[in-house]
Amino acid sequence: MLLTRDEQAALDGEKGVSTQKAMELLVALGKVYGAEGLVDITSAHLSGASYKTIGDGGLKYLEDMVAGGAKVSVRSTLNPVGMDRERWREMHIDPHFAEKQLRVIELYGAMGVMTSCSCTPYLNDNVPGFGDHIAWAESSALSFANSYIGARTNREGGPGALAAAILGKTANYGLHLDENRKPTVIIDADIDGSMFSYSLLGQAVGTRIGNGIPYYRGISPALEDAKSMAAAMAAAGSVALFHVEGVTPEAGGFDLDGLEVIHIGERELKAAHEQLNSTDDVQLIALGCPHLSEKEVKDIAALLKGKTRIDNDVEIWFCTSAAVRDRCPEEVRILEGFGPVLADTCMVVSPIEGFCQCTGTNSAKAGNYLPTLCSQKVMCRDLSELLKVIA
Amino acid sequence: MIIKGRAISNGLAKGKVVKVDEPFSFLGGVDTKTGILRIGSKADISDKVFVFPCGKGSTVGSFVMYDLMVHGKAPAAIINRSAETIVTTGAVISSIPMVDMVNTDLFKEGDTVYVNGTDGTVSLEIACIKTASSAIIVDDRILVLHRPEDARSFSGRHSLVVGKVERGETPVEAAIREIREETRIHVGKPDAQLEPFFVREGDILWEVTLFLYRLDSAEPVLNQENTGFEWMTFEEVRDDPLMVDKTFEMLSRLLDRSG
Repeated sequence: MLLTRDEQAALDGEKGVSTQKAMELLVALGKVYGAEGLVDITSAHLSGASYKTIGDGGLKYLEDMVAGGAKVSVRSTLNPVGMDRERWREMHIDPHFAEKQLRVIELYGAMGVMTSCSCTPYLNDNVPGFGDHIAWAESSALSFANSYIGARTNREGGPGALAAAILGKTANYGLHLDENRKPTVIIDADIDGSMFSYSLLGQAVGTRIGNGIPYYRGISPALEDAKSMAAAMAAAGSVALFHVEGVTPEAGGFDLDGLEVIHIGERELKAAHEQLNSTDDVQLIALGCPHLSEKEVKDIAALLKGKTRIDNDVEIWFCTSAAVRDRCPEEVRILEGFGPVLADTCMVVSPIEGFCQCTGTNSAKAGNYLPTLCSQKVMCRDLSELLKVIA
Repeated sequence: MIIKGRAISNGLAKGKVVKVDEPFSFLGGVDTKTGILRIGSKADISDKVFVFPCGKGSTVGSFVMYDLMVHGKAPAAIINRSAETIVTTGAVISSIPMVDMVNTDLFKEGDTVYVNGTDGTVSLEIACIKTASSAIIVDDRILVLHRPEDARSFSGRHSLVVGKVERGETPVEAAIREIREETRIHVGKPDAQLEPFFVREGDILWEVTLFLYRLDSAEPVLNQENTGFEWMTFEEVRDDPLMVDKTFEMLSRLLDRSG
């Protein structure tokens, strides 16, 4: 790999141990992917935030990074953690877990990372611009940033994204380069346009194309639809970039001749739904994967306004970012009549397996991860169907 | 015997080989408090040179490697056929020397190896014998020799025309001499050749240079080194259970090269 004099100096340890370790990691990852050099980034978004997933190994790693003086040098945000940092008791979290989780947040904060703990930083405090090179590690967020915004990132891992945040650089390969952003397949979609249909569309396409780059025709997703679809494609497959004709900023510039065309309609959506849905029972309904936007919070409040909570044991969580929760206090009050509006977290990264076995979701992404990461059976339904269980 | 790979994670280490032949996930694959594998041989990888083809599974695997290091149970070094992100990340953050682009078939459980993760080399304490091997082809059929049951290596097996490169000899000179001695066929410049490759047999490593000779006709007359010969099709070479390891694979590569 070709390094500038400055980069080489960092690799040789002239800028301290933590900078050197960060550079060693970027260079090693760059080699694995055949990068020719590094590229400057404007922001980072880090995964490896929930104590549930990173465990004691991850916690010790962060302790050591902080002890070594590691500091991020670009705007950096953090993924959701295993609990709401204040309302964790309402989530059945045990104090031992809470203590470790709070320590993880503290350590990221000590490195200068903004600990807003959300998977939708692009709605709040980390909004990249078109063409910006970034190093993002949350699969749904990075796909949204690549596709809907036209920023440029690969699927970074937790420590790799942290190394990039420290150096303000990442390895220049893959989706940072024009030639790798071209569509590889055309998707002609015929769906009803509900957010749930976008989630199932993402599921069907992700399952079908793996790590390809789809070019969609026949849909015009709003922000929330794109967020849901991006998350589904990244979980069912490993799609990191998609284009939508007439919608996403890079969609106009490609030669589509000769690309395979796949039709996705009612039949494929039904199959995708069946793939995700494994039970009709539910103990917990969790909304907000990815985190609810302001519009979604308002839409849910409108659906619940004037209704009464059905007296049953089913819990409902509304997962969003602290910023969105703060922006709509009226609506949050309505939601709180039915269940807690939680920030910093979501059901996928929280240890919910400690108290429930069946979770209801309208998110294909959650539908993919709940069985494996949380040992859950999944009731996958449209939002209005889920709300009927509790109101 | 020095094997050139690619430097992935810096540092030097020496240790005995623990080997897994499948892609490996650190998450679930090893107990971080003891360093004992949960799969296959249940070997202890702490302070060993851990050889496996490549990583797989959850990205949390990188932190599992860190946890091993914290408990003093990390491998001394890692050798992969091809590095991927999870193991690369784990090796770098845990300061475990790592080299990839190495043929992991060359290592046997219990071998002592030195890994230099800084220059990307692995050194294996083993006798290495250079040989020249020749594929003689007439009318799309390949000359295959039968080795005697009392041969010192690959006894009772089938092989191309093969022999040791003697001191002061180049591999091509050895090939020409061996063909003459073992079959009385006279050849000159080969039609193609491959870079040397390695075959492990017990505690010996054979460094083999493979040559191709396309001849219009040939009448082999054997000396005492072989017990018989036959002309095999390409498919017969592939399917012959007695054929020396890697013959078909390397022959395919050689024929690809010669068109």
